[in-house]
Amino acid sequence: MSQSAPPGNPQTPASMGLLAYISTHPLDEDYGYVSACRGQSDAKSPRRRPGAAGAVIAAVFAVLVVTAGVQTSRNAANDEQQRRELLSQVNTARDTLEQERDQIRALQSETARLQARRLRSLGDTRALNGQIRALGTRAGTVPVEGPGVRVVANDAVGAASAREKVLDSDLQRLVNGLWAAGAEAIAVNGHRLTNLSAIRVAGDAITVNNRSLRRPYVVEAIGNQDTLPARFAETTSGQAWLDLQREIGLRLRIETVDSMRLPAVESPTLRYANRSPGGIS
Amino acid sequence: MIAIVGLVVGIVLGLLFTPDVPLPLEPYLPIAVVAALDAVFGAFRAFLDGIFDDKVFVVSFISNVLIAAMIVFLGDQLGVGAQLTTGVVVVLGIRIFSNVAAIRRHLFHA
Repeated sequence: MSQSAPPGNPQTPASMGLLAYISTHPLDEDYGYVSACRGQSDAKSPRRRPGAAGAVIAAVFAVLVVTAGVQTSRNAANDEQQRRELLSQVNTARDTLEQERDQIRALQSETARLQARRLRSLGDTRALNGQIRALGTRAGTVPVEGPGVRVVANDAVGAASAREKVLDSDLQRLVNGLWAAGAEAIAVNGHRLTNLSAIRVAGDAITVNNRSLRRPYVVEAIGNQDTLPARFAETTSGQAWLDLQREIGLRLRIETVDSMRLPAVESPTLRYANRSPGGIS
Repeated sequence: MIAIVGLVVGIVLGLLFTPDVPLPLEPYLPIAVVAALDAVFGAFRAFLDGIFDDKVFVVSFISNVLIAAMIVFLGDQLGVGAQLTTGVVVVLGIRIFSNVAAIRRHLFHA
């Protein structure tokens, strides 16, 4: 072959460009070298055809190619299957969303209907009084009594840094979690929470209704004592508190109480909001 | 011819058993196939040239596959796996094309 390397000198200097060298010497130079050696030793050698070793290598090559092909097609099939699964999941979620939207619409119209009926019956005073009482229970201007849970939160044992203490944000989270879990009235260390209550930090202490609190923080929540703790644990606030407990060591104890009394808020003063001239409705 | 028999046997074996490639070795399979292809075309051309040798074929096949896989592995470890893969594929590709051209000349005398 004209392009093969000169016999006995497989290391032709690659003074030309590398790519040109590669394209002019595509064959393993050992073939030429070995055949040249053999040509010198005995001219008529029978070993010019592939033998058993060559056949084995050919088989190995075939297995390699087939394996690569099978692997690739299998991966492609896998990808396709995953894509289909994701698609079906998306479709299911979309259907669920649509159903829930329908439900919300139905509930909203139901609420509007009930409100209208209730407003019509507001005419008589007894109903009005009951209404005020019910609103007061919600707003915190009326003392309430009932079953619920008592949650005691405290700093980590031997707390040194602010990280290991119960912060105002932690207490807010705790209270919000209890509201989300279905609490109907909440008091912190005996201070009833209203829609105007703020839990914030002032100096070194946490204040509720502008009264500073002392540790431990006792949060009393009236509600369904069977479902409150479990539903609280399911809220994001509950999860955050579980993390705080586990990671930092804040102490949190939840106990159910059969009956407790929450006081009314001391001074529900409104400084800016005036009763609208139209009355309650 | 015995090599074609080997090829057929290999294909049948591969289809029958569909061996599972271990996950860490999977990225090196394609490059190993390209290297093996180069060795096989080289061998075929040598056969047509009349200078085929079993031993050289075996050695070139195994070393081709191992070295190609090793270069890519090394590249992966150094973070230049994609570039080295490209390099190996370019070099082997040129060789394959040149060998196939020579084979074509042999078979069709063109």
